[in-house]
Amino acid sequence: MKQIASVMVAIFTVALLVVGLVMTPGTAQAALKGKVALVVDVGGRGDLSFNDMGYKGTDKAAADFGLKMVDIQSVSAADYLPNVRNAARSQSFDLIIAVGFLLTDAVATVAKEYPDQKFMIIDSVVDAPNVMSIVFKENEGSALVGALAAMVAAHYGYPYVGAVLGIEIPVLFHFEAGYRFGIDWGNKAYARKKGTNPSTGLLYTYTGTFSDIAKGKAATQAMLAQRAGLIYNVAGPLGIGDLQAITEAIKAKGKEAGPPFMIGVDANQDWMGDGHRVLASMLKRVDNACYNATEAVVKGTFKGGLTVMGLDVKGVAMSNYPELLTFMEFGIGAGKITKQDKANIVSNWKNMREQVPSWIWNAVADLEKQIISKKISVPNANTLEEMKAVRTKYPLTK
Amino acid sequence: MRFSGRTDELKKTVIAAVFGFAVGALTMMVYGYDPISAYIALFNGAFGDPYGLSESLANATPFILTALTFAIGFRGGMFNIGAEGQLYLGALAAVTVSLFRFPSGISFALSIIFAVLAGAAWSLPVAVLKAARGVHEVISTIMLNWISRFLSFYLIAKILVDPLRAEKTISIAESVRFPLLVSGTSLSYGIFVSLFAAIIIYLFLWRTVSGFDIRAMGFNPVAATYAGIDKWKITLIVFITGGFTAGLAGAVHVMGRPPTYAIYSGMPSIQGLGFEGLAVAMIGRNHPIGIIFAAIFFGGLLAGGRMMQLSSQVPLEMVRVVEGIVVLFLAIPELIQVFSFLREIRIPFIFQFKRSQNKHGRR
Repeated sequence: MKQIASVMVAIFTVALLVVGLVMTPGTAQAALKGKVALVVDVGGRGDLSFNDMGYKGTDKAAADFGLKMVDIQSVSAADYLPNVRNAARSQSFDLIIAVGFLLTDAVATVAKEYPDQKFMIIDSVVDAPNVMSIVFKENEGSALVGALAAMVAAHYGYPYVGAVLGIEIPVLFHFEAGYRFGIDWGNKAYARKKGTNPSTGLLYTYTGTFSDIAKGKAATQAMLAQRAGLIYNVAGPLGIGDLQAITEAIKAKGKEAGPPFMIGVDANQDWMGDGHRVLASMLKRVDNACYNATEAVVKGTFKGGLTVMGLDVKGVAMSNYPELLTFMEFGIGAGKITKQDKANIVSNWKNMREQVPSWIWNAVADLEKQIISKKISVPNANTLEEMKAVRTKYPLTK
Repeated sequence: MRFSGRTDELKKTVIAAVFGFAVGALTMMVYGYDPISAYIALFNGAFGDPYGLSESLANATPFILTALTFAIGFRGGMFNIGAEGQLYLGALAAVTVSLFRFPSGISFALSIIFAVLAGAAWSLPVAVLKAARGVHEVISTIMLNWISRFLSFYLIAKILVDPLRAEKTISIAESVRFPLLVSGTSLSYGIFVSLFAAIIIYLFLWRTVSGFDIRAMGFNPVAATYAGIDKWKITLIVFITGGFTAGLAGAVHVMGRPPTYAIYSGMPSIQGLGFEGLAVAMIGRNHPIGIIFAAIFFGGLLAGGRMMQLSSQVPLEMVRVVEGIVVLFLAIPELIQVFSFLREIRIPFIFQFKRSQNKHGRR
C-alpha cells in the first residue's frame, strides 16, 4: 500500500514537473527562422552614416548568432512600404530592422498587418506591440562634446563655441539642451583646474534646413567671425558646409590643422578634413542598436516598445580611435578617401588630439562616468517651452 | 513613321524581351548570381499572385501618365522630356490644396484640377518659347525640369513642410486620398485614372481632327503645314495636353500611394517618375494602349526587382543593371525610329539653340 502510494506520488511529481516545464513561458520558445532583414532608406549602403552602421552592426550580430542577414535597399521612397511588407510577407525573418525615421510610416503600416512579425526601427517611434523602437539620448552625447568644446575653446583662447542646427524640431532640442549643459559643465571644470571660469559662450543658429549646405557654411562663417573655436554640426549634411568654412578659415591663417574645429554628428566624421579639423563626433551607435535588437530576438528577450539608448549602453558616444578606423573603411568603400590617405589621417588625428591637454580628455571621461553612474542627470527638452527653460538656465551669453 | 502591323510590333517586342532577359541573365552569371532563381523571384514578385500584380499596377499608375506626355509630343514630332518637372509641380499642387480645409469632395476635385493645371502651366513656356523664339523643346524642358526641382525643394521646405515632421510635407488629408483598391498593397483607385487618361488620349489622337493634325505634323511637318495645319496651334496643344497628364501623374501618385501621402524633402518618392515614363513610352511604341501594357510590364520589373533582392539576394545595384538591360532592349525598335526622327530635326540641338539666338528666324 505504502509502495503504491509512493509510486503514485512519484508519478504525480513527474507529471507536475512535465506539465510545469511545458507550461513555463519562455522555455517553449519558437524555433528561430535564422534570418534577419535590414531595410535601409534611399541613402543606401555607403551613406557613411546610419545605413553603413546598421549594416555593420546587423552583420556582426548575424555572424555571432549564426543568422543570415538579407539587406534590402530602396530605389525610391515609394519602395519603403513594399520592401518592409515583402519581408514580412515572406514569413522568413526573425526580425526586420528598419534603419532611419524615413521608414516610420512603412513600419507602422506593416506592423499592424503582421502582428506576429518582430520589427525594430531606429531613431523613430512606432507604437505597436511587435515593434521595438530604438532612439538615442542625444542630450547625453551632446553634453560630452559640449564640455569638450568649452574647455578646448578656453584652452586655445576662443571666447565662443558654436552650434549649427537644422530645423527647430523636438529632436534637435535634445542636442541643444545637452550641449548647453555640457558647455556649462566644461566652463566649471576649467575653473576648477585653472582657477578662472572662462565662461565660454554659445553661438547657435537654426538654419531651417537639413539639406542646404550653403546655409551651414554661411552660419559657420558668421560664428567664426565672432571667434567661435569649435562648431557643433547638428544638421547632418550641413556639416560639409560647416567644414568648408572652417577649412577656409584655417587655410587663411596658413595652417592645415584646427583650431577652429568642427564637431561631427551621428556618424564618426573625425576623418573628414584630413583627420585634423574635426576634433570629435557625437555618435549615435546604430550598429550597437541593431546588434542588441538581434541579440534580444535570439535570446528570446525581444520586447516591443520604446528603448532609449544612452551613454550607459553605448547608444551614444564621443568618437574615439576604433570608430575612426571603422568609418575610414566606410569612407574608402564609398570612394571618399583612398587607402593611401589612411595612415596620414590617423597620424593627423592622433596629433590633433595630443595637442589638447590630457586633463581635458580626463575631465570629459569623468563627466561620462558621472552620467553613466547617474550622479549627473543631463537636462533634456522635448518642446519649445522646455527648451526655453534650459536656455534660461544655461544662457551662455557673453 | 512606318505603319507596321500590330502582330509585327508584338513579334519585335517579344524578340527584344527575350534578348534583354538573356543578356541580363548572362550579366548575372558573370557576376556570380543565379539568374534562374533571380528570374523566378522577379516574375513571382511581379505577376505571380494578386499581391504582386497589385504592386505592378501600382507602379504602373504614374508611368502610364508620364509616358503619355512623351507619346503625345512624339506623335506630333516633338521631343517633350518635361514630364519630370511638370510632375513635381502637379504633386505639390495637390498637396497645396490640403493646406486649406474644404469639404473633402471639393478638396479632391481641386487637388486634381490644380495638379493638372500646374503641369500645363509648367509646359506652357516650352510651347511659347518654341513658337515665339524657336527654342528647341529639349533645351527648354531640361532647363524647366531643373527650375521645377529647385522650386519644389523650396516649397517643400518652406511652405508645405509638416511642422511636426520636418522631413516631409503635410500629408494629403485622408478623405482626399485615392482609396486602396486592394488592401494590404500599394494599389489605389488611381490606376483607373491612368487607364481612363490613356483611353482619352487614344481617342483624342485617333478620333479627333486635332489629333489627326498632331499626327500629320509628326508624320511630315512640311506636308502638314502645306495642308494648312497651324504648326503653333499644334505645338500648344501638344505641350498643354502633355502637361495635363504629367501634372495628373503627380497628383495620382501623392494622393494614391501609401503610406505617407506626402512628399519627402529631396523628393525621393517621386523623383524619376517622369523620366521613366520616357522609357515606358518607348516600350509602348508611343501608343496609348501600348503604353498601358508597357507601364504594367515596367512596373512589374520594379516590383519583381524588389523580390530579387529579398529572395535571391541579388543586390539592388545588379537588379537595376538587369532592369536597365531589359528596358534598353525593349526600347531598341522604337529608339531606331527616334534616332531617325532626331536626324530629321537636325540634331545636335545646340545648333538650333544658337540659331534662334542669332535671330535668323525659325525653321
